[in-house]
Amino acid sequence: MRSTSSTPPRWPRPVPERGSTLAERDGDAAVIPTPLPADRPPAWPHRHLLDTDVLTWPQIELVLDTADVMGEVVARRRPRSDALRGVGVTNLFYEASTRTRVSFEVAAKHLSADVVNVSVSGSSIEKGESLLDTVRTLASLGARVLVMRHATSGAPYLVAREFAGSVINAGDGRHAHPTQALLDLYTLQRHVPGGSLRGRKVVILGDVLHSRVARSNLWTLTAAGADVWLCGPATLLRGFEAWAAAGVGGERRFTVTSDIDAALRDADAVMALRLQQERMAAGLLPSLHEYAERFGLTTERLRLAREGCLVMHPGPMNEGVEIAPDVAAGPRSLVTEQVANGVAIRMAVLSLLTSVSLRGEG
Amino acid sequence: MTVIAGRRTSSDIGRAVDLDLTNAWLVDPATGREGPGELVVRDGRIESIDWLAGDDARGIDDSGVVVAPGFVDLHAHLREPGNEAAETIASGLAAAAHGGFTTVCAMPNTTPPIDRAALVEAARAAAAASGSPVRLLQVGAVTAGRAGERLAALGELADAGVVAFSDDGSPVQSAELFRNALAYAGMLGLPVIDHPEDLTQTSGAEASDGLVATVLGLRGWPAAAEALAVARDIELLAEVRGDVPGARLHLTHLSTAASIEHVRRAKAAGLPVTCDVTPHHLALTDEWLAGARRWAWDALDGEGAARDPWRDHALEADPYDSSLRVNPPLRSAVDARACLDGLVDGTIDAIATDHAPHTQVDKDVEFGLARPGIAGIETALGLVLEAVDAGHLTLARAIEALTSGPVQALGTSREALRAPGLVEGAPADLVVFDRGARWTVRPDALMTRGWGGPLLGRSLPGTVLLTIAGGRLAYEDAASA
Repeated sequence: MRSTSSTPPRWPRPVPERGSTLAERDGDAAVIPTPLPADRPPAWPHRHLLDTDVLTWPQIELVLDTADVMGEVVARRRPRSDALRGVGVTNLFYEASTRTRVSFEVAAKHLSADVVNVSVSGSSIEKGESLLDTVRTLASLGARVLVMRHATSGAPYLVAREFAGSVINAGDGRHAHPTQALLDLYTLQRHVPGGSLRGRKVVILGDVLHSRVARSNLWTLTAAGADVWLCGPATLLRGFEAWAAAGVGGERRFTVTSDIDAALRDADAVMALRLQQERMAAGLLPSLHEYAERFGLTTERLRLAREGCLVMHPGPMNEGVEIAPDVAAGPRSLVTEQVANGVAIRMAVLSLLTSVSLRGEG
Repeated sequence: MTVIAGRRTSSDIGRAVDLDLTNAWLVDPATGREGPGELVVRDGRIESIDWLAGDDARGIDDSGVVVAPGFVDLHAHLREPGNEAAETIASGLAAAAHGGFTTVCAMPNTTPPIDRAALVEAARAAAAASGSPVRLLQVGAVTAGRAGERLAALGELADAGVVAFSDDGSPVQSAELFRNALAYAGMLGLPVIDHPEDLTQTSGAEASDGLVATVLGLRGWPAAAEALAVARDIELLAEVRGDVPGARLHLTHLSTAASIEHVRRAKAAGLPVTCDVTPHHLALTDEWLAGARRWAWDALDGEGAARDPWRDHALEADPYDSSLRVNPPLRSAVDARACLDGLVDGTIDAIATDHAPHTQVDKDVEFGLARPGIAGIETALGLVLEAVDAGHLTLARAIEALTSGPVQALGTSREALRAPGLVEGAPADLVVFDRGARWTVRPDALMTRGWGGPLLGRSLPGTVLLTIAGGRLAYEDAASA
C-alpha cells in the first residue's frame, strides 16, 4: 500500500508490501520496513553500507523502492517521519564535503534522528588520535549510525569491525561511495524510457582512476544490466582494462576506452567526473586546457549520443573543464535532481540499515 | 614413534643440552643426505649420528619428527634500539628460537640506525644480556643515517663484525652511490643487501598494482619498480666486478616474476648475486587484501594465470586487513608461483622472513596508514611446510633455503657462520619439529611483541619442539618438555 497524496515517480515500479506506511500527511507514523518472516532470508541483511559490491539486485531494488517512499516524505509540506526518532546519527568527515554531508544531515533530520556533525581536518594520525579511538568516543556519545568520509580507501571497514551500530561509507579514498551510486542509479531509472537500464549505454567520463564514484557505479550499473563504458585519458584509466577483462564480480563485462567519440556514440547517459587540479602536478595530465579540449563534455560532443541522452555529474563541477556550462545547465542535465534524490536515497539507506542494527534493542 | 629423551625446563634456556633423539627424520643440507636416524647430544655437542637402514628404519618417514640444522634468517627487524614497544632484541631472539632459527641477521633500520661501531657493540651486548643462545648477526647501514647521501663508516662497521650492509626499507636511490657501496663493501669482503625498489614509482603505494588494487581503490606498487631496481643493481655489479672482484650483491625479499628472471640471467652470466624470498610472498597473494584466504598455489588456474577471487566466490574475510600491508606488497598468484619456481631451481638462494613487528598503535589503523610489515619469524616454517605439503617444494630444498642457502649468501668468511650441517663432534645447532603436529597461531602462542598478523587464528603444520643454538637450549615446546 502506498500513498497517493504526493507526486508519484515518473516510472512507477511495484513497491513491496510493507506493514506500516508513510501515508499520513505530515504525520508521524513510523516507517521502519516490516520485520521479515523468519522462514525467508531477510530482504535486507546488511547492518553497514560500505560499498555496493555486496548488494544483490533485489537488495538494490529494495533501496530504490524505499527511496520512492522516502521521496513522498520529502515532498510533504513538513517533511518529517518518526522512523529514527531518538537515534544518534553522527557524520564523521575527515575530508571536506558540503553536498554529501548536508545531504546525509537533511536525510537524517527528515527521519527525526539526532544528528551530530564532526569534521576533522587532516588525517586521524595528524590529529594524534586514532580513528578507532575517535569512533569509540563517538559511540560513547550516543552514535548509533556513523556516516563517514575518509581519504584512505577501506577506512570504513576498520570502523565497521569495531562499531556496534551501523556504518555508512560516505566516500573512502578512491574506493567507494555507495549512496552516490545508488542515487545515480535511482535518478537514471526515473528518466530512461521503460525505467530499466538493461542494455542502455552509460558512459562514465573522466578521472576514473581516482574516482570512488566510478567504482561504486560499476557495481550497480552492471548489476542493472547497463552497457557501461569508462572513458578518459589513458593515465587516468590505469588498471581498468584488466578489470574490464576480468569483469565486475568476475563476470559482468564493461568497456574501457580513451576514444571519447566511440564512448559517446549512441550513449543513453553520460556521467562526467570531477577532475582535480593535482592531477597535473602528479604528471598524469599536461594541462586542464588540454583535458577540456579532449575530454570535456560539450554540446557538440553530445550530438554523437542518442537524442535525449541524460547528463549527470556527482559534483562539485569544474564547469568548463570536465563539463561545459551549457551542458551542465542544459535540458538533459539531471545534476540538480541527483542532489534532490540523494536525500531520499540516504533516508532509505538509513532506515534499512537501522532496521537491522536496532533490531532487538527495543 | 620418535623419542626425545632428556628433560628440561624453561629455566634451562641457555643451558648446555643433553639429548637422545631416536626414530627421527634427519635432514643434513651439508651432505644432501636425509633419512631415518638417531642423534645423541651430550653437553651441547653432537656425540653421535646414526643413519638407520633396513628394519631399523621401518615406519620412519619425513611426515613426523624432523631434525635439521638451526635456521638462519637473513632479514629480521628487532626494533632495538628505538622502538622497544614493537620488539626488543630479547623478544626477537625468543621469537626466532620459537620459529626454529638459531641465527638472525638484524637489519640496521633502528633509531638510531646502526651506522657506527658503537651501536653494533650495544646490540651485541643486548643479545648477550638476553640469555638467548640464538646468534645475533648485525647488518650495518650502507649510508650514514640511512639517508642515502654518503657512505656510512663501512670499514669501522666491518671491524665491529657486521656481516653485510643494507639500507633496507630506504634503498639507496643514487646509482652512483650504490656503485661505490658495492665496491667498498667488496673491498671489505662483505655483501651489500638491497631492498630493490624504485621509489619514484611507489610514492604512497599501498598494494601491488593489479586487479585487486584497482577494485579496492588502493594505490599501486608496480612490479616494474622492483624489476628496475634489480636490473640497475645487477648492471652496477657487473661493472664494479671489473675493479673489485670480491664485490657481492644480495637482493632481499624478491616478489615479482620479472625481477627473479633478471637474477636468473645474472647468475647464468656468472655474476656473484644472490637473493631471498619471504614466506609470505611464497604463500600469500594480494587477493588476501580483498578477503580471500587461500594459498597462492591454490589461486592459479590450469594455464598458470591468477584466478579471479570474485568469480570464485573466494572472499571470506573482511577486506583491507591492515596486517597484510607489507613492503614489497603481496603480489599476484603468478608472481608467488615464480618465487616458488625460483626457489626450486636455485635462482633464489634463501628464505628470509623480513620479520617486521609493529605496535598496535602503528598497525591497527586504516590500511593505507598502517606501517608495512609482517612479523613472520614464528610462522615462516609453517608457511614453507604448507608449500611442501602441497607438493610444490621438497622438504630438503626448503631446509636448504633456511640453512645453507642464507649462509652461502653471506659468504662463510665469518667465524660465526659455519656451514650448517649435522656433524659429529660439533656444537649442536638444531631444530626439531613435528611436521604432523599442527599448531594454532594465537597471540599467546607467539613470543614476538609485534601486534596482530594475517595468520592469527589459522593452524599451521610443523610445531617446533626444540631449538638448540650453539649447543644451548633456545626454545622448547612446553607440551613436549
